[in-house]
Amino acid sequence: MAHYIRRRLITAVPVFFGITLLVFLLLDLAPGDLTDLMGEGAASAAEQAAMEAAFGLDQPLPVRYLLWLTGLLQGDLGRSYQYGQSVSDLIAQRLWPSLLLTGTGVALAVAIAVPLGLLAAWRPHSLWGRLSELFTVIGSAMPGFFLALVSICLFSVQLGWLPASGMYTAGTGGSLGDLLRHLTLPAAIVGVSNVGSILRQTQSACLEVMGEDYIMTARAKGLRERAVLVRHGLRAALIPVLTSILSHIPHIIGGSVVVERIFGWPGMGSLMFSAVSSRDFNLVMGVTVWMALTVLLTSLLLDVVYGLVDPRVRYERI
Amino acid sequence: MKRLPALLLALCLCLPLAACGGPPAETGSQEVTIRCGISNAWDALMPYNSVSGSNYARIVYDKLYDRLAYVHADGTLSPRGAESWESCEGGYAVLFHLDGDAAFHDGTPVTAEHWVETFTLMTDPECPALGRGNFSVFTGTDQDGCRVAGEPFGAEAVDELTLKLTFKTPTTPEDFLLDKNREFYVLPTHLLEGVEAAELMELDLWKAPVGSGPCVFVSEIPGSQLTLAANQNYQLGTPGFDYLVITVMDKSNLLTALIAGDLDYYAIGGSLSADDVPLAEASGLTVLEGTVPNTFYELMLNCERISDARVRRAIELALDKDLLCEQSTHGLGAPAGSSISPESPYAASAVPAAERDVEGAKALLAEAGYDGTSYTLVCTANRAGLAALMQQNLAEAGISVTIETVDSAAMFAGMADGTYDMGIASHTPGALPLWFTESRLSETNNIFHVSGLEPYTSRIQAIRQEADPEARSALVAELDAYLAQERPFIPLWFGTALHVQSPTVQNIDYPSASFSNENVWAWVKE
Repeated sequence: MAHYIRRRLITAVPVFFGITLLVFLLLDLAPGDLTDLMGEGAASAAEQAAMEAAFGLDQPLPVRYLLWLTGLLQGDLGRSYQYGQSVSDLIAQRLWPSLLLTGTGVALAVAIAVPLGLLAAWRPHSLWGRLSELFTVIGSAMPGFFLALVSICLFSVQLGWLPASGMYTAGTGGSLGDLLRHLTLPAAIVGVSNVGSILRQTQSACLEVMGEDYIMTARAKGLRERAVLVRHGLRAALIPVLTSILSHIPHIIGGSVVVERIFGWPGMGSLMFSAVSSRDFNLVMGVTVWMALTVLLTSLLLDVVYGLVDPRVRYERI
Repeated sequence: MKRLPALLLALCLCLPLAACGGPPAETGSQEVTIRCGISNAWDALMPYNSVSGSNYARIVYDKLYDRLAYVHADGTLSPRGAESWESCEGGYAVLFHLDGDAAFHDGTPVTAEHWVETFTLMTDPECPALGRGNFSVFTGTDQDGCRVAGEPFGAEAVDELTLKLTFKTPTTPEDFLLDKNREFYVLPTHLLEGVEAAELMELDLWKAPVGSGPCVFVSEIPGSQLTLAANQNYQLGTPGFDYLVITVMDKSNLLTALIAGDLDYYAIGGSLSADDVPLAEASGLTVLEGTVPNTFYELMLNCERISDARVRRAIELALDKDLLCEQSTHGLGAPAGSSISPESPYAASAVPAAERDVEGAKALLAEAGYDGTSYTLVCTANRAGLAALMQQNLAEAGISVTIETVDSAAMFAGMADGTYDMGIASHTPGALPLWFTESRLSETNNIFHVSGLEPYTSRIQAIRQEADPEARSALVAELDAYLAQERPFIPLWFGTALHVQSPTVQNIDYPSASFSNENVWAWVKE
């Protein structure tokens, strides 16, 4: 196993640098840079040139990439053009809110999707099956921004139960209760948006397993239905379900652009949105590094978890 | 033991439900917080390091740092950092008499020396200041605003409280302040001693800045939330609140956040749509109509691609400005034939908006030998509807247009490098007649790709140098008539805005936010 992990980590290195190079190239190809935003088109060529020189944007692309890469290898992601602060500090500031929001949302989705998917596979034409269809349709077909606006109108404007924005009530100390009140709506939106895919995956994996001979054998042995379902059905269906759940990790860490933006939640998604809009290349690259690392490590984690969950999976030396 | 995970899960699910029990209890203190929404983020908290130079950044600097004057929406001026000002040296210099009560947030009095040191630092070629071109109006600087070695610099401290600014061309204090007041802030230079100019922007001081404005820095989540406290010692009065919290959120949620009680008001970039007025009023919010225009819409043209002025004039005649203005402002705007604001003292010199004349447009196109070339019209996604209307208008005159929607950076870059032929842009208008034309029709910024700039630059120069108001108005009228004839850009309309706020906040001078200043010291929250 250790050998396998080492090998995967080594192969991840070129992939990581490939991602950074690709994003750097795409950023360079994107029309406009931050000097074009200066003064809504009123900045003089000299002012634009001065800004380019100040941020090193006047250097050729390979030089800029090598300079950025040198900084990265020294643990320096550079300074944000827009905010004038260290990119690492900005990411660190936004990480916890994103983890909290998207993590809670995905946990909520898992808590709904896995049991419901299992029950829907067990009794496809029952109330569980219909509920499952409803969640799948809502989660898959309704865009997050629409759900967010509708829920704000309902729960914040009409009923006045929950706040419509922010992480804490402005001017308060930020108690746990206050945080939970602010978290409820955006986390629920993230949860509902994610529930469809996990539910579908759970239901189809369980349906496949429920038709297997060993399930019939388990029932024939006189095992209680719950034991058949959970111990034999769900466990065997766990690999695709886990894949679906763990694949949300980069999303948890990267945040949700739409939900964070609408709710004024200070997470990574809104940071990335603002960085792209303002052509803050250093910040975009910083968030990209973070996301690339997360995706690569998640992929490795998935492989490791497969081995732990399913004894048929073995990591042998080739 | 197996029940433990289930219990934990149930607890997790119940916590949010428990949170629905109503708003948090008051902390018991009597602290008053004004909560402001803003739809775009500000930049670094160092005012001379603003990459966008946008109103969103300036409106934040305005609270932390002090400026020389307060500019009202109608173009009148009030004292702020300076108590009074007077012209001297035949109009080439202005003396600013500073307010002796002004002090930085650390208690250090603001002196003329602070202003001079700020200007000296920012014009140092080694200092990576942004927007330095603004300093180029002072003597002793080059066209980029850098100090020229060996020449006397046009900023000096006459005494502790008198600042003298000397200009390259005769400039009245009013013209200087209307044009540049929002660009100049006084920095705490006593905290910058020994700092290399090249390192100035990287100081930790800008993470928790010390200014002399009406608000004191408390905390910041860059790009998301800024918490400020009232400056109890501000020379124009103590704001009527304890804290001001500015939060960035999407435009689509500003009104709902206000109705839900999360915000007390939102200012620039988040004006209320006329359709939402009944909802806002029914929710107990106060709706106020702006008194002066705060937006100017223009259609940028690429004069290299649309090289014949008759075709450019035909485009203007083909556009139904009344309809476009109505669609955009819902009755809160007026079509324009000039970039001179209707509230400007020079409004009488402005060319009025022309009536739509499709037949006239066709005749001009025929005269110009228009060959049916298709043009690209670029705009941001939120203006796609406007672009579609324009496309329809132009098609009626026989002009073919392809619409492209991009973001702001791509639009301005595309107009600057000639990728696009037309572009819809909006700006915050100024009271001076040259607020728009001077910066866009110059050798250093020729965004309209005009082949011969001399007719414009010579007229602009003549206006700048003319001190007599009547003669100046005549020159402004001449320039405007020339612009109408050549049409390097098409003025579309000036729009006013509806503002909405909680009834608990008072004295917010919304219209003056157009000049990137707000009268925070007068704000009161019950």
